[in-house]
Amino acid sequence: MAEAQAAHGADDHADHKPSFFVRWFFSTNHKDIGTLYLIFAIIAGIVGGAMSGLMRMELAEPGVTVLTQWTGGDLTAAANFYNVLITYHGLMMIFFMVMPALIGGFGNWFVPIMIGAPDMAFPRMNNISFWLYGASGILITLSLFAPGYGSQIGFGGGWVLYPPLSSNTGSPGPAMDLLILSLHLAGASSILGAINFITTIFNMRAPGMTLHKMPLFAWSVLVTAFLLVLSLPVLAGAITMLLTDRNFGTSFFDAAGGGDPILYQHLFWFFGHPEVYILILPGFGIISHIVSTFSKKPIFGYLGMAYAMVAIGFVGFIVWAHHMYTVGLSVDMKAYFVAATMVIAVPTGIKIFSWIATMWGGSIEFKTPMVWAIGFIFLFTVGGVTGVVLANAGIDHYMHDTYYVVAHFHYVLSLGAVFAIFAGWYYWFPKMTGKMYREWLGTLHFWVMFIGVNLIFFPQHFLGLQGMPRRYIDYPEAFALWNQVSTIGYFITILGMGVFVVAMFDAFFIYRKKAADNPWGVGATTLEWTLPSPPPFHQFNELPRFDKGDAKAF
Amino acid sequence: MKKLTATLSGLGVWLATAATAQMTPGGIAMQPANSALAEEVHFFHNWILLPIITVISLFVLALLIWVIVRYNAKSNPEPRKFSHNTLVEIIWTGVPIIILLIIALPSFELLYKEDVTPDGKQVVVAGDGQTVDFVFPNDFAESRMVKRRSHLQVALDNGSGQQVLRYRDDYRVDGFGDAEVVVSFETPPAPGERVIIRGGRSSQNVSGCPNAKRFIDACDKEIVMAPTMTIKAVGRQWGWNYSYPDFGDFEFLSDMATEEESTPETYLLEVNNRVVVPVGETIRITTTASDVIHAWALPAFAVKVDAVPGRINETWFSADREGIYYGQCSEICGVRHSYMPIAVEVVSRPAFEAWVDSQRALAEMEPMFDSENIKLARSENAGASAE
Repeated sequence: MAEAQAAHGADDHADHKPSFFVRWFFSTNHKDIGTLYLIFAIIAGIVGGAMSGLMRMELAEPGVTVLTQWTGGDLTAAANFYNVLITYHGLMMIFFMVMPALIGGFGNWFVPIMIGAPDMAFPRMNNISFWLYGASGILITLSLFAPGYGSQIGFGGGWVLYPPLSSNTGSPGPAMDLLILSLHLAGASSILGAINFITTIFNMRAPGMTLHKMPLFAWSVLVTAFLLVLSLPVLAGAITMLLTDRNFGTSFFDAAGGGDPILYQHLFWFFGHPEVYILILPGFGIISHIVSTFSKKPIFGYLGMAYAMVAIGFVGFIVWAHHMYTVGLSVDMKAYFVAATMVIAVPTGIKIFSWIATMWGGSIEFKTPMVWAIGFIFLFTVGGVTGVVLANAGIDHYMHDTYYVVAHFHYVLSLGAVFAIFAGWYYWFPKMTGKMYREWLGTLHFWVMFIGVNLIFFPQHFLGLQGMPRRYIDYPEAFALWNQVSTIGYFITILGMGVFVVAMFDAFFIYRKKAADNPWGVGATTLEWTLPSPPPFHQFNELPRFDKGDAKAF
Repeated sequence: MKKLTATLSGLGVWLATAATAQMTPGGIAMQPANSALAEEVHFFHNWILLPIITVISLFVLALLIWVIVRYNAKSNPEPRKFSHNTLVEIIWTGVPIIILLIIALPSFELLYKEDVTPDGKQVVVAGDGQTVDFVFPNDFAESRMVKRRSHLQVALDNGSGQQVLRYRDDYRVDGFGDAEVVVSFETPPAPGERVIIRGGRSSQNVSGCPNAKRFIDACDKEIVMAPTMTIKAVGRQWGWNYSYPDFGDFEFLSDMATEEESTPETYLLEVNNRVVVPVGETIRITTTASDVIHAWALPAFAVKVDAVPGRINETWFSADREGIYYGQCSEICGVRHSYMPIAVEVVSRPAFEAWVDSQRALAEMEPMFDSENIKLARSENAGASAE
């Protein structure tokens, strides 16, 4: 990559950064915006994580004992508070933690660099994407404190916002309206961001970098961006209809006026299912790079990996009603959705096995990102196979809305997407900050958290099999044991997050070791490792070229 | 571990009941099944899905451990350079497809069994020592007609028990797929013997057949009768209203019992007025809701169906054993979502009839099951138990 080496030499004297306010508030620089997204995601993660802590403490033993302390002993308020917690925990983690971290954060930071572009295609649109997220965050926070049901504050109907619970029947107060507007802004932000990514990836790849030479992380963000552009407008439509049902007397989802609550569910899950792939696909891309880097081997089956993501994205659009097996769909329709859903296991299997094949024959170094990536592969497999169980409508009539479902989607998201985020964080931390962290702290963070999250979520399979419904503040005695274990797991996870905070504090203020341009050695072949750590404010004033020889970017 | 619950005063109905929750404290498996269909759900999960996903997970784990041990930087300092292998790529695409097909076939069978309400019916005719041909009216919809020997079962009841007869050995059949199916015996059934002809396309394993043996030693199947009754369950914030349209449409509310009214293990599951159903009969449940969406769930029967305002959903179950079975609302419905359980009490036919009459009395209706009225409860075609 001699060209690229030469390219950043020219950057140095063009590397004047704007003043603080202009740099961070009017930012048009993809790396700065990426950093802002990551900070945003960290804040949302702390809030969402704290919410789950309250839930787990409440569920530690039967009876309502913890949340009542927050509500002055009022049981109804505590029950409402619990429902608010589950709702905002889900929304926070999905819309304000995982999406900003993976797409806004790592996507903004590394997609332009990986494809050899100086910045995103529309830098100013990139800025408004981020600040719409900020506005969306303010609205959802306001919604937490606005009246929802009666005198209770917040909306407590689950992140899916099903009417009539989310319409005037179930939640007449303004909390729900604020939530709808918040999701509108978050959706608009993501759509703009997705347009930006698609344009950037299609038009600004370095000379000679064909799509089939493009790094897999860029592929994953490209597929994700298409999913966002195609699915979010449907959500926007659904919640707009909900908004007019609530405020302007329409009855799209009101049976009394000729509407149908199930229509909302179809629209929501037409968005909602692609959404879960939006959450995990960028993680797939990150894991591919990490596995290849630390195995010192090229990615096995590159084209298969890229098109497996395309296939997952495509099939992701035609399986939505597997979230709705109990709503009263016709049996033939359920049979179709069973079949279509199981198809997704095939490209997902291709990815899992290709990662393992990438490691096979390699010379693996167990640096922190690699440890997280291996953890991801196993835990995502566990989450994936329980998904195959749930795909069967005949079983889902038993499992639907039980803790088995909670365990399943936390295995793929909390132990999947979040592990991918941490893997990416430790992988790119030296590049983004120019500093190294202590390996043993990163590895310790992994092990504590690995034990913790498994202890939280594995027993939840048992609870689900025993029939414990989700979104319950209180439960019969028989469910006590595994709930207790799950709560212990939460505290271990929090301990793990403590290790993370220590590792980061240490890296910035104590260890302070300067990161090399490429700290990971010969396996790290993508363009970001050709730049200094941290990269200059503007990179690639002279574009790297891939149109000579057999240079590859992955 | 059976405990006698306190008698429920609710509407003044006395029911001697032994209530115990179905979940095992600290349990890791599905709740014990109480219907042939739930047995099949268990079989599908415990003997097909669970082994497959366990093997896949362990296989991936083993591969990971192998690459960690064999291909770490110490053991393998020189990485190899390959990045393709068409054969293994074909294998790991093809083998999962085969595994999915193995899952899909029983999955579809199970799904259709759950979702198609049985419509089987039976004809009971007394033998007279002369008649050898018995007519079964095949008046189902075209897609549900009796067309094959597996759609028809013939039994003889001599007063002391039923004997299931074998096709060709004991009887012959003419007219599969026609409007009338004729069952012909070699020897005419004697007076006092009754011929029971059951027809229909819904079948299930006979009660008590160990499911794990299904593939080795095929269980006897029985045709499932059409529902003998319908229960309307209407979800509301936060409890259920039930009514029995076949018995005068009397209606009652079913709300969670207080801690004092429940045992420690049934608290949050017990209600003040349970749904009462007769054992061994196909029960149709229709659900809807009056405010927000709720879900009527009964894990022991592998039943869960949403109650949606403006829509009527339907499902069915047939209880194998008497007892009390609990479920909990399974769609978030507001602040008291955790407090609207479902309790179904399965009783014998006579106890059910007594209960119906007591409910009718509360609704100021005449008794239904006194003396000759008793026949009303059984439509002539349906009724799984031929006494």
